[in-house]
Amino acid sequence: MDDKELRSRVQKLDPMSSGVETRSVMDESSRQMLEAIMEQPVSGVSGDSGRRMQWFLAAAAVVAVAFGSFAIFGGAPAGPPLQLSLGDSNAISSCIPVSAEFLKDMPVAFEGTATAVDGGLVTLDVGEWFAGGDAATVELIAQSGMQALIGGIDFEVGTTYLVSATEGTVNFCGFSDVASPELRAIYDEAFPG
Amino acid sequence: MDATDERKRQFERLAAEIFEPLQRYLLRRAPRGEAEDVLSETLLVIWRRLESVPTSVPLPWCYGVARRTLSNHRRGATRRLRLVEKMSALPGDTADEVGVSGIEDPEMLSAFEMLAEDDQELFRLWAWEQLEPREIAEVLETTPNAVSLRLKRAKQKLAEELLRQKAVSAGHMTDKHAQEM
Repeated sequence: MDDKELRSRVQKLDPMSSGVETRSVMDESSRQMLEAIMEQPVSGVSGDSGRRMQWFLAAAAVVAVAFGSFAIFGGAPAGPPLQLSLGDSNAISSCIPVSAEFLKDMPVAFEGTATAVDGGLVTLDVGEWFAGGDAATVELIAQSGMQALIGGIDFEVGTTYLVSATEGTVNFCGFSDVASPELRAIYDEAFPG
Repeated sequence: MDATDERKRQFERLAAEIFEPLQRYLLRRAPRGEAEDVLSETLLVIWRRLESVPTSVPLPWCYGVARRTLSNHRRGATRRLRLVEKMSALPGDTADEVGVSGIEDPEMLSAFEMLAEDDQELFRLWAWEQLEPREIAEVLETTPNAVSLRLKRAKQKLAEELLRQKAVSAGHMTDKHAQEM
């Protein structure tokens, strides 16, 4: 059997060859999806970042406080880095508007600068803790090695981010993002003093 | 036209090219509900990284984003949630169900299913997405040489499995014949 025949026979196993429907990019629902995506900030948070985007499920990530200096939940004693996987009770499983009112209840919130981005591991040097910790370094771990594309955030070394988390899981959908003045203002409002 | 408008136009042109292929890619690998979620997440990443998208042949790069997004999505979801999704899916709602029912080459299906997942994925990218090794390499974030080598080995394994399947089929036929005698 030559390559052409082999490819043809494997191609026939393709379930999509059996008439599974796809949506056209011109469909109303597709247009709405694309319009909502194009309203999302490219970097940082713009004024309309709170727009509701029900499509987005928060991506899976784990927050681990590095170097065992402090565990971010329940005041756990010092020990090895804490890693908690995402459960089905993810705090923001679909996006809600970014607001100080919602953010103030987050048990973990900090500002940190990325010092290393290695596959699915992002290391942040914490500049300021707003809630839930006092570690100098936090590691964000994408469970699948997302190549630093965690929840749509494009982590880059040297860039400062504002990050909040619940139950060991980073909140996305604008709640954690590049530390733009707009997002910083929301964090400052949520965590005064 | 300002920079934002130009960016939107660029994204819309790209979306027109990749929207349906990305859907097919995801529907081949996930139930429809999950595929929809991952499609939107994938497009968001692409929107944010528009400058990184190769202009000449964008699709393999976009498949790579979809692959990582799906992988991340799966690892984040609970097993229970996936079971609920599967149970609540209507008949024919996922590509898998439709595909299996439409199979006309059971020997190839059996041989294919005996392969390791990595080898199956190579074949999917090669025969279903119709990608060449250099494009598969972009999806899998490896080198074209590595893909060519892995593909060659996978083809050998598939050929061996096909022979095995034929032998099994022949054995069944012989048994049936003997019973009829």
